[in-house]
Amino acid sequence: MYHAGSYAFGRSFIHRLDPRVKLAAVVGLSVLLLWIAEPLSFLLGAALLALALLGGINLKTIAEAVRPLLVFIVLIFAVHLFFHESDDAVIRLPYLGLPFSVSGAQKACFVTWRFFSLLVAALLLTMTTRPSHLIAAVRWFLQPLKKLRLPVDDIAVLLALALRLMPVLLGEKERTELARKARCGHPEGKSFAGRLKIFLSLAHSVLLGVLRRADELAAAMEARNYRRGGRSSFVEMNMRLSDRMAVIILFTAALFFLALNSRFG
Amino acid sequence: MIVLDDVHYRYEPEGIDALRGISLRIGEGEHLALIGPNGCGKTTLIRHLNALLLPASGTVMVDGLDTRDRNHHAHIRSGVGMVFQNPDNQIVGMTVEEDVAFGPENLRLPTAEIKNRIAEALARTGIADLEGRNIENLSGGEKRLVAIAGVLAMRPRYIALDEPTAFLDPEAAGRILKIIDKLHAEGVGIIHITHNMAEAALTQRVVVLHEGRVYLDGKPDDVFEKVQALEAIGLRLPPLRALTARLREAGIAVRSDTGDPEEIAEQLIALIRQKGD
Repeated sequence: MYHAGSYAFGRSFIHRLDPRVKLAAVVGLSVLLLWIAEPLSFLLGAALLALALLGGINLKTIAEAVRPLLVFIVLIFAVHLFFHESDDAVIRLPYLGLPFSVSGAQKACFVTWRFFSLLVAALLLTMTTRPSHLIAAVRWFLQPLKKLRLPVDDIAVLLALALRLMPVLLGEKERTELARKARCGHPEGKSFAGRLKIFLSLAHSVLLGVLRRADELAAAMEARNYRRGGRSSFVEMNMRLSDRMAVIILFTAALFFLALNSRFG
Repeated sequence: MIVLDDVHYRYEPEGIDALRGISLRIGEGEHLALIGPNGCGKTTLIRHLNALLLPASGTVMVDGLDTRDRNHHAHIRSGVGMVFQNPDNQIVGMTVEEDVAFGPENLRLPTAEIKNRIAEALARTGIADLEGRNIENLSGGEKRLVAIAGVLAMRPRYIALDEPTAFLDPEAAGRILKIIDKLHAEGVGIIHITHNMAEAALTQRVVVLHEGRVYLDGKPDDVFEKVQALEAIGLRLPPLRALTARLREAGIAVRSDTGDPEEIAEQLIALIRQKGD
């Protein structure tokens, strides 16, 4: 089962970059995206989109990843469109009485674009980086916190398990739903109370299944010698020349955007 | 050598006595089938072999190490690998190589050695081509092989497999059995839980459990000879074994050790011809 946003095998230069560079770049560029002036964020978002396309992520995949968040995106757009305070010409929409202004429309476009760009940045990271490499990068960045007795290795394993169990849980939910439909076809009906009853009973079955699985998985991990504390990793992270070049380019680009921001922002 | 001496185990708070005085010796490189009706204690027993469960009384010694001593657990668990019934409950990694690496990573091996172990385990299970694949895109049979590879990467001396061919089609089940045979030939001790008597017949030794006790223990031929005792606890022999056992009961000497239908048919034809002459 493939889910939009999960790792897609590829050989692009972005796929080959060190995961630490990608993680730092995506976090850095996302902060920059929210920091710089709105017109500049259009430019940075477009650059991220171009990078995603270069990384082999096509527009169809991006659309698939955006689809589950579409309601949320429309809501962000609508809130900024109709509730933006401005002094320019305002037209009140008939019946609803909501104000509409050109600056509100601009604001809505900018905010929605920022949100979309953040999504593209996240896709760029998850679709071009193996989960194990991503977790190794997170672990590398968290290493200094070991001095504060933070269980860095355990956090990395937790992350790996969360990623692994997500599709398993979705499968469990689908199986439970199918089994219920096969037996009684949800006779509770389509009323709100009926739907709530179905949801609660489904949640109960899935939760029981999840707890059973968690118990078995914990036993299986123990059987394979998992203990809290230090582990080694099969992921090799080497900063090659291309990674160093990428760091320099990204750093220069960030400085460029900051300079533009201070000049025109 | 794994030695179980008068092992008792009770599930609390249900108060179910799962093991009631099990004593067994499992030799190095031995291929043993563990059979018995549901709830007889097979899974509970193998969970004692790598210290996942500890006996309420009695002892389990693995290569001379007592499983009750927690200081020995790391050594015992890398020596006795455990393949669970449902691979989805065992596989930790998102991709095949990630999962196979999990055990060696826990052993804190260096990266180069982990990579060697991954390649070796995948080659031994014949799934080197699946290395980078996402677990969610694998078939049930492939997931079982990944689970076995994950255990092999720890280079265990014994492997306990809980119904490794359950719910698989004959081809996938055959592939798993071939790998188990190969591992046994390489000197790995195999403890194989199964409900399939034909699979049990292929091992060196069959241990039948009933109500938490060892009910029968011996070579497959000797165990399968006791048809009535097996049927009394709800176990049915494979048809061919049942036929030869019934014939021998009736005083007709038919060898069944190969389990090959052609060979048994030839023996019967020869006997009939003898009678005819």
